[in-house]
Amino acid sequence: MTRRKNAQLDAADQSFIEAALPAFISEAQEQIESLEQLLLQLEDAPGDSELLNALFRCAHTVKGSAGIFGLDRVVAFTHHVETLLDKLRECQLQLTPAISTLLLQCNDQLRTLIAQAREADVAEAPDALAMRAALVERLQQTAGQPTAVASPEAATFAVAEALPEAVPASNGRDWHVSVSFGAETFRNGMDPLALLNYVRGLGDVRRLACDTAGIPPLDQLDPECCHLAFEMGLLTEATRDEIEGAFSFVRDDCRLHVLEPGATADDYTRLIEAMPDNPRLGDILVACGAITRAQLQQGLRAQSAMSGTDAVVPPIGEILQSTSGVSAQVVSAALDKQHAQKSTQRPAATRDGASAAARDDGRFIRVQADRLDAVINLLGELVIAGAGASLLARQTRQGALIEANGQISRLIEEIRAGTLQLRMVPIGETLSRFRRVVRDTAGELGKEVQLEIIGGETELDKSVVERIADPLMHLVRNALDHGLETPEQRVGTGKPAQGKLTLSACHESGSILIRIDDDGRGIQRDKVLERAWERGLVERGVTPADADIDRLIFEPGFSTAEKVTNLSGRGVGMDVVRRNIEALRGTVSLFSEPGAGSRIEIRLPLTLAIIDGFLIGVGSSKFIFPLDAVVEVIENRPTVSRLDARGRGFVELRGQVLPVVSLRALYALGSEAPERTSVVVLGAGGRRYGVMVDQLLGQHQTVIKPLGQMFRSLRGMSGSSILGNGEVALIFDVNSLSQLAAEPTASARRALKHHSEGQAS
Amino acid sequence: MATRKKASKATAEQPKVKPLALPAELTIYTVGELHLQWREWLQQAALTEGPASVQADAVDEIDGAGLQLLLSLANGLEGRGTPLQLLDPSEALRTGCAALGLVDWLQRRTAQGAPA
Repeated sequence: MTRRKNAQLDAADQSFIEAALPAFISEAQEQIESLEQLLLQLEDAPGDSELLNALFRCAHTVKGSAGIFGLDRVVAFTHHVETLLDKLRECQLQLTPAISTLLLQCNDQLRTLIAQAREADVAEAPDALAMRAALVERLQQTAGQPTAVASPEAATFAVAEALPEAVPASNGRDWHVSVSFGAETFRNGMDPLALLNYVRGLGDVRRLACDTAGIPPLDQLDPECCHLAFEMGLLTEATRDEIEGAFSFVRDDCRLHVLEPGATADDYTRLIEAMPDNPRLGDILVACGAITRAQLQQGLRAQSAMSGTDAVVPPIGEILQSTSGVSAQVVSAALDKQHAQKSTQRPAATRDGASAAARDDGRFIRVQADRLDAVINLLGELVIAGAGASLLARQTRQGALIEANGQISRLIEEIRAGTLQLRMVPIGETLSRFRRVVRDTAGELGKEVQLEIIGGETELDKSVVERIADPLMHLVRNALDHGLETPEQRVGTGKPAQGKLTLSACHESGSILIRIDDDGRGIQRDKVLERAWERGLVERGVTPADADIDRLIFEPGFSTAEKVTNLSGRGVGMDVVRRNIEALRGTVSLFSEPGAGSRIEIRLPLTLAIIDGFLIGVGSSKFIFPLDAVVEVIENRPTVSRLDARGRGFVELRGQVLPVVSLRALYALGSEAPERTSVVVLGAGGRRYGVMVDQLLGQHQTVIKPLGQMFRSLRGMSGSSILGNGEVALIFDVNSLSQLAAEPTASARRALKHHSEGQAS
Repeated sequence: MATRKKASKATAEQPKVKPLALPAELTIYTVGELHLQWREWLQQAALTEGPASVQADAVDEIDGAGLQLLLSLANGLEGRGTPLQLLDPSEALRTGCAALGLVDWLQRRTAQGAPA
């Protein structure tokens, strides 16, 4: 095969490829994920041309980058997938559930191939080869036998549509796209023709000019080297990203400039610099639309007239400047280019580097996660050191020093926010991964399920996202397996045959809340209790409260599945889920209504590293609340006198009863209570409660350090932090503290009532 | 350029070179081999009087690499003053040219400038 470059790779290429392969694998895996999502979305909207285009682009991207790495298996296989996708895109085939399943299976195959990318040279097992061959055969059969819908007329129409004239006018904006494909384009398995056809899908190609003069004559041509370059006007509603995205898999090897409608001289300057090396200045200006042919010819005439005299011939750029309105910037860029071509070939890298830098605006950079982690660790140290420095500065009472430190603190805070933002990723990607799980699982169980995903844009720390995926997977499978009934059972109980599963995510007081709702049968408490008695988790005959029964399913070794399926019911599920979530400083809780469904709530911290805290003092101890959880602060209230033995009581806040808890009493901090205290009102899980403290010390950037093994059992605490002066402050977990504050409501009320009756009598 | 004559190289007695027949597959998979064949043909065709004819009705698969080779052939011929003339361009070739913005290019080089 002529496209293979693997055999000819020299050592340098090989080492480059080894270094770049992990990035390729992770990128390809993302593409494969998108492919799957798109396929699943297409099932709901077959024939959606945007989805089909996106699907095709994903497959094409995988093929393209695999070509660069010489992964022939991936390229060959994806080629067949692409052929089928192309038929779908051109409406020669309709997406049926069978085709959809086939494509999903092909996607799984691709995933396997990508996972094996590192062992590209290792011979494959015969059964793996046979499986792939079978898929290819099915792909070819499917692609080769158009359904009755695709009549010959329809096919002709598709061809006609590909012609620029036949594309209906759209209401988009007029972009200018200049692309010069790199020499390796063909060898990397790319075809500019297919690519331009794809670009047509984005809108109306108004102008398209191929730089035919840039192609060397036959005797100087290396036929596998690409010399194609194009200038096109594209009328589209697509965004810059979408237009550039069309070229994403040749981006590293092509010069692409996308000029926005009404581009400035500055934009054209950059375009000229990135143009192929042969056109003359005038052609460049005309081709990029900076000036018209008439303006150019006027400039040329002026030049030839002057050459008849003895006067020094000014370069055409100067003439153009003096006779037309072309901006000096545009002309000088073109002149620079001309000079560069006249003098000996300047190292191409210099210009490429410059234009690449210009091109990189608004693009993504892939960074190794451990580098980011290293920065965040350092940042933690910086925050602590910064706090120490400003404390020292305050002690010196030197205004200028305090001010300088304040400035540094603000900057540190900005860096902190910015750095942590780098790690934030939307959870949607993880959630939408479950579409396939739900589709396949439901199919396997003979259930009909509609999956709804809400709040996919909610962001949280990447490390949290990665570690929550598995527990979520378990919960989703459990909901499908145990929660939702079969269609017959559902119809029998008066519900619609199709069950509903909702995954949602949102931010709530400094944490993220993920909910899994189903409208199934709910927790069958009698079965759970029976099993708990059997396993000795609850003493036989004892019936705990409903909520406690629900909680039993999170106990180790608990499973109620009547038959052990390969989905769940191995009894390793829920307790592992709870442990994993708790390891992330999160909580999981379950609410269930028999016959109506269940809701599982997972609450996770947004980040595992640094938070905005609110520092308070009780006696000589310092504590921190996550700032997001602080609703308001009431300063200098008279001490609440009526507290129970564990420091719980009530205060009145704007006519409402607010439960409060005294940290001094709760944690037995041995110091005299001051006459007046402040109350920090916290919000957690829809409830509000107050915490009585001595001093309000204000906002504090808090680097979270885990609590030692000894203190893990402390209720209400989630971590510790080192303050600027070296003191240690404990960080509260507002949710578990709220349980402490709210649990004894009834008894406290009784106590309060009893107390007031006692006073009255 | 296409109309420029180069009489000095060719004599009236020289037999006209056989038209080059484009294959069915004009893609990256075939350009390597075709390149060698076409170069030989170009050497002869450039010596003959009048336009060099290329039979283009058989093309049924073409890609960017194939079109680039065809453009390069045209540039090679026209650089020596011999215009390229495409005979009966197939639908696939027309579609390919349209895709790369070569409609005018094709039109100018199609015999009699026949419309599609």
